[in-house]
Amino acid sequence: MPIRVSLDRVLLERRMSLTELADRVGVTIANLSILKTGKARAVRFSTLAALCRELDCQPGDLLVYEAGPDDGFLEEDEDG
Amino acid sequence: MRALGPGSVSSFLKIILDVVFAALWIGVVALSLITLAALLLSFNPDLLANLTKATDAGAVARDTALGELASNGSSITSGLLAAALYLAGILVIVGSLRRIFTTLTAGDPFHPDNVARLRLIGLMLAGLELGRYAFWAVSAWLLPGVGRIEPSMSLTAWFSVLVVFVLAEVFREGARLRREAELTI
Repeated sequence: MPIRVSLDRVLLERRMSLTELADRVGVTIANLSILKTGKARAVRFSTLAALCRELDCQPGDLLVYEAGPDDGFLEEDEDG
Repeated sequence: MRALGPGSVSSFLKIILDVVFAALWIGVVALSLITLAALLLSFNPDLLANLTKATDAGAVARDTALGELASNGSSITSGLLAAALYLAGILVIVGSLRRIFTTLTAGDPFHPDNVARLRLIGLMLAGLELGRYAFWAVSAWLLPGVGRIEPSMSLTAWFSVLVVFVLAEVFREGARLRREAELTI
């Protein structure tokens, strides 16, 4: 996935734990871990908005695009 | 009335499938034992004669029936074997359906395992239909003119097979969407 989630860095800057963020955003720690470790396939706008609100940041602070070998095709194109 | 989840139509159907599954197991075991007994008797007809002698002398009708059994032993045995195999095929189908309905009762219809279960049901339905044709062909060849049953190409059966295979692919797509949803935060 060419999109990297830099949640770790933002949390460190805000000196906030994952548990505290999970409580504030209303997302389970398990799901935040999936997001943090880059295993997530998609992020809802509502989740992104809640994360930005609680971390006082912009979506661009959380998501970074890095071009890679698996970049360029949507899954629908690969299947169809 | 709900179709999925605990206390729904699917849980009611699951109970019916459990009962049918248990009955089929009993049927398969019983039929296999009878087939085994018939096989042993067809190899050793003297055993049958000894058995009839050992019983009371008045049972003429039963003796005649047993004598008939001994003379047609091999065909009866193969018939019983075919019936046991057919029942075993139905057992596999009902077993797979039972497991599918367990996931439906749990409210999780797009469980990834359901794809393989549906494909197995489709394969077994096709196998049973082909087995029926094979049984007809073999019986017509071995026993010409004896209780011949005309073969019928059952369009409904083949239609069902195709529908089950398509449904399996629908479930595969459902399972893929479920996986996507699980990884959407």
